[in-house]
Parts: sequence; C-alpha cells; structure tokens
Amino acid sequence: MANAPSPSPTSSFSFDLTRPTETSSSSRFGPRLGKARLVRTDGSPDLTIETPGLLTTTSRGIVPHLSRDHHRRTAAIRWVGLPFETFLEQVPPVPTLQGGPHPLHTFLGYPPARNTLVLSLRDPACAKQLPPNGKDHISALSLRGVRKVSKDEWRGYVAACNPDLVPRALHRMARRPPPPIPPTQSQSQSDTTTTDTTAATHPLNVLVHMAGGASIPARTAFAESLTEPLYGPDAALVQPLATLDQGVAGYTFDLVPLRNALGSAAPLGLASAPDTPDTAALAPLLRASLAPLPATKLRLANSPASPHEILRLVRDVGVDVFDAAWAQGAADIGVALDFVFPVPVPVPDAGSGLPDTEGGKIDLGHNLYDDRYASDFSRLADSLRAGNTNAQSTPTSTFISTSLSGSDSPAICPCAACSPLPPTAHIAHSNLDALSFPPKTNADADADAALPRQSCLPPFSRAYIHHLLHTHEMSAHALLVMHNLAVLDAFFAGVRAVLRSKPKSASSFGFAGEVERFVRRYEEGAGVFERARGMWAGVDRARGKGRLGRERAKNAPAVAETLILGDLVPVGETTLPPDTIIDLEV
Amino acid sequence: MEFEVLARCPTTKARVCKMTLAHGVTMLPTFMPVATQAAIKGLTAQQVESLGVSLILNNTYHLNLRPGIKILEDAGGAHRFQGWTRNLLTDSGGFQLVSLSKFTTITEEGALFASPFTGEPTMLTPEESISIQHTIGADIIMQLDDVVSTLTIGPRVEEAMERSVRWLDRCIAHHDASGKKGVQNLFAIVQGGIDVSLRDRCLDEMIKRRDGVAGYAIGGLSGGEAKDTFWRIIKQCADRLPDDRPRYAMGIGFAEDLLVCVALGVDMADCVFPTRTARFGIALTFTGPINLKLQKHAKDLNPIDKDCPCPTCSDGVSRALLSHIITLETAASHAVTQHNIAFQARLMGRARDAIMAGAFPAYLRKFFKDYYGDVGYPEWIVNALRSVGVDLLEGEDVEVVQGDGAKWEYSDKS
Repeated sequence: MANAPSPSPTSSFSFDLTRPTETSSSSRFGPRLGKARLVRTDGSPDLTIETPGLLTTTSRGIVPHLSRDHHRRTAAIRWVGLPFETFLEQVPPVPTLQGGPHPLHTFLGYPPARNTLVLSLRDPACAKQLPPNGKDHISALSLRGVRKVSKDEWRGYVAACNPDLVPRALHRMARRPPPPIPPTQSQSQSDTTTTDTTAATHPLNVLVHMAGGASIPARTAFAESLTEPLYGPDAALVQPLATLDQGVAGYTFDLVPLRNALGSAAPLGLASAPDTPDTAALAPLLRASLAPLPATKLRLANSPASPHEILRLVRDVGVDVFDAAWAQGAADIGVALDFVFPVPVPVPDAGSGLPDTEGGKIDLGHNLYDDRYASDFSRLADSLRAGNTNAQSTPTSTFISTSLSGSDSPAICPCAACSPLPPTAHIAHSNLDALSFPPKTNADADADAALPRQSCLPPFSRAYIHHLLHTHEMSAHALLVMHNLAVLDAFFAGVRAVLRSKPKSASSFGFAGEVERFVRRYEEGAGVFERARGMWAGVDRARGKGRLGRERAKNAPAVAETLILGDLVPVGETTLPPDTIIDLEV
Repeated sequence: MEFEVLARCPTTKARVCKMTLAHGVTMLPTFMPVATQAAIKGLTAQQVESLGVSLILNNTYHLNLRPGIKILEDAGGAHRFQGWTRNLLTDSGGFQLVSLSKFTTITEEGALFASPFTGEPTMLTPEESISIQHTIGADIIMQLDDVVSTLTIGPRVEEAMERSVRWLDRCIAHHDASGKKGVQNLFAIVQGGIDVSLRDRCLDEMIKRRDGVAGYAIGGLSGGEAKDTFWRIIKQCADRLPDDRPRYAMGIGFAEDLLVCVALGVDMADCVFPTRTARFGIALTFTGPINLKLQKHAKDLNPIDKDCPCPTCSDGVSRALLSHIITLETAASHAVTQHNIAFQARLMGRARDAIMAGAFPAYLRKFFKDYYGDVGYPEWIVNALRSVGVDLLEGEDVEVVQGDGAKWEYSDKS
C-alpha cells in the first residue's frame, strides 16, 4: 500500500456550538448544543446532525439485526461507528475495492446524505488485550486472529474508503498502565502517530483519541502536546498548520479501556454495580484532556454505560456524541427500553405495566423474557406512544410531560415495532398481482398524508416479542434494536430540548434539575439487564447453536423442560453470541 | 372462499386461479413461505407483505406449544398476534407430532403424545386440531391426517390412508358445526404413500366428500422418495382432484419441483427450504443456488441478481458484503431470506403471466435451459414435462442426466 492513492476527501466536516456560543472557562465543561455539518463537495446533499446525539455501533460493518429496509426506516441512525478490523480477513480489504465517491457508504449501504461514518481500525468497545503495536504497525483483531496493519496500509485503506471521520488509529497509551510515563515520552510517541494519521486524511476529518489512561498528568500532557507548535520534519508534515490540534476536528474518549484502567469491572455495554457510578471518576479524566484544548471541537465518548452516565458526561464534561452500544446490546438480550428525558410532570404512578421497580425507582426497560409479559398486549414502552394512537385514546395520556414539546401527552415512538407502517409498495411478480394488492387511490394517499398517525398499524406487543424471544426467533432482536435506538434518540432530543429552553422558564427545572429528576426516577443498576441476559442464555442454550449436541447428551424430557422454562443461567456463564443462528423449522 | 379459474395452459395442466379468502385475494399458482413460530425468520409481517406475498403458513403444533391457545385467543387470533393482515394457512399439527416427537402413538381416537410441558400423555384428536386452528384463525385450515414416513411400505400405509379418510369426516363434522365455515376453509389431505392404488382409493373417498372441503392437499410426499415416483404421484392426484378446488402440494420448495408441479396442475406449495437455506448462506437464482460462503463470492461487488426487485438486490447489497456477514450476523440471514422469498414469488409470478399469455411451455423451456443448461436436464423432469406435452429436448442440445437434479454450489470450482 506504499503506492496508495493520495486522499481526495469528498466531504469536509465542521462543528458549531449553538449554545453556549462563547466559550468562557466556566462554560468549557458545561452542557452544550451543537451542529455537526458535513459539506459534500461531490454534489450529494450536505448533512447536519444536532448534538448531543447518539452514534450507532456496528458489527462487521452493519447495524446488528437490521436489514437494509429496516436500517433505512430507523431515523435514529445518523452517526455510525465502523471498526474496520474485520475487513482485514480479505486481502485487500473488500471495501477498498468498491470505488466511486463514497466507497464505504456504498459498500455498506449507508446513504451519504444521511449517515456520517466514523471509521476506526479497532472496535473501541473491545476490551481484549492484543499484542502491543510496533513502531510501524497496529495490531487489530479479525475473525482469523490478530492482524498487523502497517501505518501505510491503514493510510491507504482510509483513502480508498473515504469515510467521513477517522479517529486516530489506535489508543495504545490507554491500554498501558497509567504513568510512570514521563510526559515527554508520551508526547513524542503520540506526536508521531497523530502526525501520520493527520497527513493521511483531510486535516479536518480527523478525531484524536485522547490518550493518557487513568492519569490526570498524562492526559494533560498528551492534550497539551496537541497545541504545541511543531518544528522540523513534524512541521513539514502538517504544513500549513502550526500545531496538530489545528488539524483535528474533535476528540474521542474510549470509556471501556478507561474504566479498565480505573479498575472498574463494568460489564461491556451495561451499567456497573448500582452504587458505584463511575462517571465521578471518569469526568475529571475527560476534563483533564479537554482543558488545554479549544472548547469548540466535537467530543465523542464511546461505550457509555447508561443514560445516567450520558447525562452526567453532558452536564460535567460537555460531551457531544455518545455511542449507543449499551442500548443496542440491550436489544440483543431481549430488553425493550422504556424511559424518557425529561421525566414527565407529574411522575406517573408506578403501577402495573410499568417496568420493574427497585427502591421506588423504575427500570430503564422491560426484560421481555419475563413471563409477566406472556399475555401483555401493550406496546413496548409506557413512556412513548404507539403510532396508531392519538392523544385521546392513549392509556398514558394522563401523564403530563413538561411543556417543552408543547404537548401534554408522550411523544410517539417512531420505530417499526411501535409504529409499523403498511407497505408503501408491494413487489409485483405478475400482471395479476394488483388483484391481491390493489393500488392506492389518490383519495387514500391524501388521507394518509393528512393523518399519518392513523395510517400506522397496531404496534407489535410485548407478548409477541416475548413469544419470539422464547422461540429464539431473530425478528425479536430486529424489532428491539429499532425500538431501543428510537428510545435513545428521543432521549437525546429531550436533552437538546431542555438545553434549548430558556433557563428558569415556567415549569422548567433546568438541565441540572432534570438530570436529578431522571436519576431519582430511573434505576441505574443493571438488574433488569442481568436478569434478561440470564434468561437469554437459557433460551439460547436450549434452542441455539449446538442445541442438537446438547440434546443428545441429555435425556429427552429434561430437554423439554429446559426448552419451556428457559432456566436461569448466571451472568457471564455463556460465551455464545446473541445472534447465533438456529433452525427450528420443520 | 371464492375460487375462480382465470386461465388454463392449452398444453400442460397449469392454470391461473383467483382465490379470495377473508384476508384478501391470492393469485395462484403461488408459493407460501413458512412462518413456523408466527414470524418468517428474522422479518416482520410488513416486510413479508412488501415482498408481494399474500399467503403465508403458520405451524399449529408449534403455536399450540408457544404461545399457546389462550394467548392467541386473548390476542384476537394469530393474524393480530403477528401483525399479518393477509391470508394465512395453518397445518394440522399431525406432521410435527410424527417428525418432532419420539413418543407419538396413533390411535383411532387421535394422536397420543408426551406433552413437552409436563411429559404427560396428551391426545390430539381431529376435533381438537380443528378447534386449535379455529382459535388461531387461519383462512385455510388443514385436516388432521395420519402421517407416515414417505418411505414406509406395507399395511401401515393403507391403515394411515384409511384413517386419514375417517379423520377427515370428523374434521368436516366439527368444522361444519363450528359456525366458522364462512371465514375459515378446510382442506383435505390426500394420503396413500407412494402406492398408486392406495392413492386412487384415497382420492375416491376424499372426492366424495368435496362438499365438506374447500380444497385438497397432496400429502405424504417430499420425504425422500425417488423424483420419478414423486412426479407420478403428483400427476395422479392433480389429474383426479376436482377442477373447482385449489390443489396444494405440501412441502415442495425447490424451483424445479415447483414448476413441474405447476405444469401438472398444482396451485399452491409451501416449504421451509428458501428461508432455511438463506440462513446457511444459499441465495436462489434463475441459474441455480449460489453459496455465499464460498471464497469466489468474497470480492464480488455485484448483487445476488441485478434484475431482482427484492430489497437486498435493489439496494445493491453485494455478494461480497453478504459473504462477509453470512452466518455471523443475523442481518445477513434477513437479507438473503428476503431475496429467496422474492425469488420464489418471481418464479411463480412469471408462471402466472406465462399461463395467462398462453406461453407457459416456452417459460418452462427457458427456465430449465437457464437452470440446467450447463449440467444437463434431469431425466425425471424431462419425463414429467413430456407427460403434459412439453418436450424440453426439442431443439435443444442438452444432455439428459440421472439423479434428482437438485442444484447446489458446493465448491469454488463449480
């Protein structure tokens, strides 16, 4: 890849803070509103995404469980995080063969007009220890084991893929134990790497991974190094920029290695033990990294553990984008999220049909494996309405949400589970098919346009998804991923709405006040997720890959019991992936 | 049910029919995808419908175990439960009792099996099967039949055939008394194994009961019998079944089998093959199935079929991307499942158009040339189509080969 084409980016990235607009030192770490803009120079429409917002994570390049049509229908999918490492299984990696103005978008099916692709070599949520990176290569993990990627190769891959943003390719400092790394050493080491990546892509399309581990001095030193003027060969590489920071669009924080460095053993993607919210320890580290740097650039955090942590990082650090790994992971294990921000006023009674309650708080979602949902025909979330209901007929319409939205009933969940839409078109396979699927008349179409809510079909019920989960049907996870992304997207819309509202206006608690109300309302612990994971493992063991072998080992009646009861397995006992594909048709 | 024959092929026995059920019109011949557990694997009801599918199948045995009849009743039926607004067919549960349960004993009263819940002996009678199907609420319901393995020979086959006739009487009586006849339609299932005389006797008896049934299925095939036997039994049944009733070949899903059945006069078929094989990375095409796991597809940036209107192909999902995710990501299964269902629907939709246009023999010749031109025509297909007046070899220089002719992409060399 030494002869890789020189990069020819077809988009340029900019980020504007809309509130606060001036960055005094007091507001440097406060909550903020922003707009991330991609200007496409190839004629495709520009793309603007509001922050705070979510970044959808991917596995092997795609959003897990979503077919193309479902993915297109999920408006929450805007920022997309793409680890490249699985593509190293083919030489050369196949996305680099695609060609055209947006090879990565095209290959993976992300419309450039809708999706901002953040391409990293490694999966930021991967906590696995890899062999150390060398002077000229980076270690990455693919299905066929560890692959060494030279910096030239990576540069070439990025150029051939034309993603929208590229985090600096690795975070080796974070994997190392915290100091004793003398600041000078960390400087020189990181400078080299950063310079390489900066030169490899459009200067403004690079995000820097903020290194320094759990050491505040190391993080500060790394950050300061970005703003120091460069001299000699380094300066030549980044000309006409005076400092590395001038060439970067924003900063990323990978919370998984950071939590590991802090010694917290939080399970991947899910909240840690209830009484040890580690945001308190994270926030100072993030602030140490940001303090020496301009406050106007994008801040992205990977692998937040919960909405509680997201709110604290918005409030205490001013992070702009968070990945949705925990919400997507909840869909893998059968949890339908059910929470809103800001919490409606007054807080609705925690009656039947509401999520589990612990100590007066309610859970963030429903473990739909639980038998309590076997004949619960209500929609997935109490806190969001189904598309086919209007305010008058909604059972929850007695809830009064804060007046921010100007509405006195919960917002509609737009996902394909809560607001399924009848097909807009049916593929015609013969000239006679119109007899089966009569074309819509103009009058029908007008009626649909006038009353879009009425055109929604009834929502999929908890009972149906409970059934799909226990029968190991993949449709359950497709519906839950779309729902959970929609719930998280609505949560961020709520965050932005609160931040946009006039401080101290009537019925407003202010952002900090709303965060406190949220924390008081919703359980932060992972109880519901742990219970779901245990039941998921039970069903997967009874019906998933390897089932036949296990059945042979047992006698038949015992198998039948396992199958029906979905016995509970302690968390962490299973190693099977949630998307194991099985076969139960006859 | 309203059933109307719109066109007949002047050469073969193929026909186009319009079948109107409580949940709309389904044009025949058609292929029915199987939603065993109230979901086509990985898809939603809306996705399936958008593929141009208007009739799917649920399995009574499975739905009776989970979620159970009580929940389906509370949900307002299986349509409502799974969000499917089009036509639905349920089997009787008899086949799965035999194929899935080691402990099933058939008595005259019904099928005695060990409950998977409690292990206790449980009886599924013809009346009970119909009642369960009434609760599920499918537009087409099937009689409980006494199913024996296709390859069984001897007196057991005759006993099963005769019992299936007696059970049909009980199903008809129970269905007639239920008051559901206006919205749900009972189909009989012709049994008799691979014995021509038993099939004839079963046909005699079941045709006598035509006033009690809305349609007929041909059961007991697709269970390992020789293809030459398979098509002859299909032909024997299709030739004799009443012209004014739909004919349903159970468990048929390979493209070549489907078109032979249509030529012999079959209107409907179902099989898990297209959806199951999708999950293992097999995509169906008009030149034969392709195995996406093979290295030869790993860098192929073309879609499975550039002319295919399915969401996967029309959105440009490449073979290379599918190869990268197949069997590792559920989304790959979804993508290939959508494609394969659309493929089956295209195959049958083109047959409908060809029959309407009086060009079905030409369609058969083109399909089989594209499909088998490279490897030779299986002899059984040549014979089956000759029996209805189409000679695949006429004007073609294609070799005739032995074997069942099922196409498969085994290795990178093929």
